[in-house]
Amino acid sequence: MAAPNNNKPDCWRVPEVYKHHEQQKVCISRPKYREGRKAKSVKVYTINLESQYVMIQGVPAIGVMAELIQLCALYGAVEEYRPLDEYPAEEFTEVYLVKFQKLTSARAAKRQMDEKSFYGGVLHVCYVPEYETVEDTRLKLQDRRRYIMRATRNIAKEREHREETKKEFLHSGTAATLETVTTAHDESLDDQPKESFNSSNSCFPLLPLPPQEYHYQGLKNQHRTAPTEDKMGTLHNAYTDTEQPRQSPSWSQASSDQYRSKECKLIPTRAPAVRFVPRTTQLEIRKRKIDEDEEQSLMDGTEKNQPFIGPKLPEPLKLDMEDESLNTTVNLIRNTMRQVESVPELKPVTKKIKPRRRI
Amino acid sequence: MSKKDSSYGSDRFEYLQTLVTEFQDTDSEEAKEQVLANLANFAYDPKNILYLRELQVTDLFLDMLTEENENFVEFGMGGLCNLSMDPQCRDLILQIGGISLITNCLSSQREETVLSAVTTLMNLITPSSRADITDPAILQCMMRFSLSESPRLRNLAAIFLQDCCTEEQVARAEEQMQGQHQTAVGIPLPKD
Repeated sequence: MAAPNNNKPDCWRVPEVYKHHEQQKVCISRPKYREGRKAKSVKVYTINLESQYVMIQGVPAIGVMAELIQLCALYGAVEEYRPLDEYPAEEFTEVYLVKFQKLTSARAAKRQMDEKSFYGGVLHVCYVPEYETVEDTRLKLQDRRRYIMRATRNIAKEREHREETKKEFLHSGTAATLETVTTAHDESLDDQPKESFNSSNSCFPLLPLPPQEYHYQGLKNQHRTAPTEDKMGTLHNAYTDTEQPRQSPSWSQASSDQYRSKECKLIPTRAPAVRFVPRTTQLEIRKRKIDEDEEQSLMDGTEKNQPFIGPKLPEPLKLDMEDESLNTTVNLIRNTMRQVESVPELKPVTKKIKPRRRI
Repeated sequence: MSKKDSSYGSDRFEYLQTLVTEFQDTDSEEAKEQVLANLANFAYDPKNILYLRELQVTDLFLDMLTEENENFVEFGMGGLCNLSMDPQCRDLILQIGGISLITNCLSSQREETVLSAVTTLMNLITPSSRADITDPAILQCMMRFSLSESPRLRNLAAIFLQDCCTEEQVARAEEQMQGQHQTAVGIPLPKD
């Protein structure tokens, strides 16, 4: 357990190689129903094993530290990093220590980067809690305890709520259920953080809402006020911060939340905020409308304006898809088609010989 | 969503139940280890904690602490470390009298087992259990751990001493250590 004591001062000590740094053997004897998506070893994760510090092994020694840290930063703010030159590494590879600001970022980074290829090498990412200070460890444990407390409380509440709605549904039909849903909705609105609302709102053009059904919005919101972590307590979006919502509002998650809450406030009648219409249907409706318009313009447009000489070709349709993004798409497609059309058909094809790369 | 959630819930419950059943029925040591590790990892997710509590996995984990197989002990202790974060599981462990079983794990040869035990003990502290957990014997053990070569163990022991006990308690334990009242809690038995 304890590593052998070499009586050197701390800064000259070679970093220890601990058992949990090693990649363990993948377990191959699991029956089908216990097989996960990924092959894994038999190992139990506890909060003690997790850390905001990760060690990345197998980085090719070709001067790609900046690229590595950029990759890490995709999963959350990196607080510190340094190469661990003294750590025993495979030939032509380097080992790095990265401290993320948050444990959730480290978790996301480990999950996404471990066993992925990087400039021709395969990374091995593992937590290195032995680099934590006492304070780091203390905060880690406190955060975890608080998170579990909140999450289990919310789950219990949700369960209660679900049973209640079920009961009321059985008792007095749909009217009562709708009522409870809306009250839950109200509560959840109050719970939402409001202070970061303006900042993120003014900075980013908000994306339209994803398609959703109204019915479960109340429940969903309620759920959302609590953990944003997924099954194993992992944030896919590493920037989101459940613990301290004040710090650096993560806009993708937060703003969509706020957008939703704002929208709900704007619609006092609580009519279904967004009705889900598949895109194909939307396009069909548009197409039909355009066809109708076209007929109309052929029929009555002629009477109004100029003298009518001969059959008039329909004007190139001014398409308005009633949606900016759709319009842009239409324009892009049209321009591409134009370019393709304008290319003369017979063109001597000169084959470019690709210079062979030497390695 | 609510519908989906509940069906997801019952699916998950059934799956966990299957695991528990396999654990109880199988004779294969290997399968037992795998299932135990599965269950302990499931205990990490708050969504499963409620189901695991209903399936009495808390008792299952506690049973593992007295097993010969070190893997069983490590995984069971890990599961308890995960479960004990939840106040209701904490109360359950206290009710069953888990403190002494967990204290025994402090003298395991495996670092992971010892670390889980320390964290679990900290999780188990409530006004009524505080006296038992900050027993002088455990305090002395933590003081030895706080001088350990392993930074993780050192850190956890330091937190235990700083956050869970009073300064007087620590001072008294120190005195006892210097005197003749040494206890053997947390000192591993020699390997044979």
